[in-house]
Amino acid sequence: MTATRVDKPSVLIANRGEIALRAVEACRLLNIRSVAVFSTADRSMPHVMQADEAVCVGPPQSTKSYLNQDALLHVAQQRGCSFIYPGYGFLAENADFAERCAQMGLVFVGPSANAIRVMGDKARARRAAMEAGMPVVPGSTEAFSDLSSAQAEAGKIGYPLLLKASAGGGGRGMRVVEGAESFEAMFLQASTEAKEAFGNAEVYLERYFSRVRHIEVQIFGDRYNRVMHLGERDCTVQRRHQKLVEESPAVALTADERKKLHTWSVSLAEAVEYEGAGTVEFIFDEESREAFFIEMNTRIQVEHPVTEVRVGANLVAEQLRVAMGQALSLPEEKTWHAVHAIEFRINAEDPAAGFMPRPGTVAKWEVPTGSGIRMDTFASVGTAIPPFYDSMVGKLIIYDEARDQAIEKAQQVLDQIQIEGIPTSTPFHQALVGSLAFRENRIYTRWVEQEFLLSPQG
Amino acid sequence: MALTFKDVAEILRIIDASNLEEVELEAQGIRVSVRRGSGTMPRKEGSVTTENAAKNEPSGENAESSPAGAVAANEGLAKPDSSDDSGGQGLEVRAPMVGTFYHAASPDKPPFVEVGQRVAIGDPLCLIEVMKLYTTIEASVEGVVHQVCVKNGDLVDFDALLFVILPD
Repeated sequence: MTATRVDKPSVLIANRGEIALRAVEACRLLNIRSVAVFSTADRSMPHVMQADEAVCVGPPQSTKSYLNQDALLHVAQQRGCSFIYPGYGFLAENADFAERCAQMGLVFVGPSANAIRVMGDKARARRAAMEAGMPVVPGSTEAFSDLSSAQAEAGKIGYPLLLKASAGGGGRGMRVVEGAESFEAMFLQASTEAKEAFGNAEVYLERYFSRVRHIEVQIFGDRYNRVMHLGERDCTVQRRHQKLVEESPAVALTADERKKLHTWSVSLAEAVEYEGAGTVEFIFDEESREAFFIEMNTRIQVEHPVTEVRVGANLVAEQLRVAMGQALSLPEEKTWHAVHAIEFRINAEDPAAGFMPRPGTVAKWEVPTGSGIRMDTFASVGTAIPPFYDSMVGKLIIYDEARDQAIEKAQQVLDQIQIEGIPTSTPFHQALVGSLAFRENRIYTRWVEQEFLLSPQG
Repeated sequence: MALTFKDVAEILRIIDASNLEEVELEAQGIRVSVRRGSGTMPRKEGSVTTENAAKNEPSGENAESSPAGAVAANEGLAKPDSSDDSGGQGLEVRAPMVGTFYHAASPDKPPFVEVGQRVAIGDPLCLIEVMKLYTTIEASVEGVVHQVCVKNGDLVDFDALLFVILPD
């Protein structure tokens, strides 16, 4: 029938957890009306309670609630929303959804469907990166679903190899192949996993570097063709391609090396007339001092707070401002804070049991407060962590004037954190900040699995 | 010439009477796409409400929520819906999807049901619309409509209480 009439801009927040809560807060800051959506599993989550309005869009399964495009678009229309905030995960990098929003006259808070499409397609993204002047990881220019042609290509690239799902992300559909003898088994695994996770069995082949860092550059664009970077992040602490800890700045790189990555990233974003928040990811080989483009994520990322505390900005609020047609209002590099920031992902996982996710109800949630300590979370005492979604329950961000001091502070804070009712990744982080290799920054992307977890004291 | 609500209802009636599982209709820039049962609610085996009827035990949520008729509970608050005031005697009919609630087949038609009215199994109770896709919610029991919990044209949450029927 008739849609709700509203006198101020309204945003439908198509996400859950801490990022939905950040969006609600940003709306309040900008005097925007917030309409939250939730599944029946999230009925009493804080983003639901704190939003101006909330609508239950479906049962717990994401496909029927947070990924249910028809339901979300219908609710947006009926509740008088002109903006849809996708956050990260769910529909954040779904070009078709962005396009449907545009067709209905709704503003998708993010880049254009075209930019999402180009960067979401590994082959097109590689081409765009090469055109922007950056080196790309040696690999296949096309994706394979057929074993024999993939095998022939593998021979040309050489081992070790990385298999990556064409439509993938988040580590699913990825396999490392050490030599020709294990290619067939790994290819079939990656291809099957890709088909199950993304509905597309096609897999790319890339040269695999065994000792590299993961470095990424935060960029931001507005619709007046201005793109700027907000520095880089070092996300080398990973387990099975899942980031666990992120830092900014990336002190393992020289100022010149960082500057080169910033410039490349801005050029790439400019080439696709990028609007909103995005991240350009690289691997960096410390031995040869070479960086290679891996991909661009067309969304706000989980680890954006380390950038926020370093540059002194609210990136979620900036996403909304840019979507409303405002020009970028982010601080220039010369005014950034001279701090080192580290984010620790607090997941409802048991590090002692192979990082097994364990849902449950939070019985105690005590996190120290103070200068240089920030906790982004939706959890508090009594919060039931549902088993249906991501296991991340919070992000602890610690910052101080330099990396050593930030690590010292992190150690104190991690030792004082008391979370009960659910196991968390806190013990992993405690051991990490105590290890010499992490303190001396002698790490690489497979370090956690190949060394640290085998001998945490090292 | 644009399709009216009446036209859509007529098209739905024709499709309903057929054995077709899926119909796509395109004319003068208008596309109507109808999928029987939306993949989750097999209509052949029983009405849309069958699944929800099993959840008829009094839940803590309902006991705590606002008194009968307080439809505004859907508005912004996390409360699931208005409560069933039948003292546990009634069968709750809940929304199988989020969408816009219509009490009649078209604006100029009388409502499918009103309080006090008798219904038989399979009688239409209301329509729920999501992005121009209409789903008919049917009675799964014989009985008397005890409560109509939402207003025509309201956006209803998934699992919101729509009707309470006192079974015979």
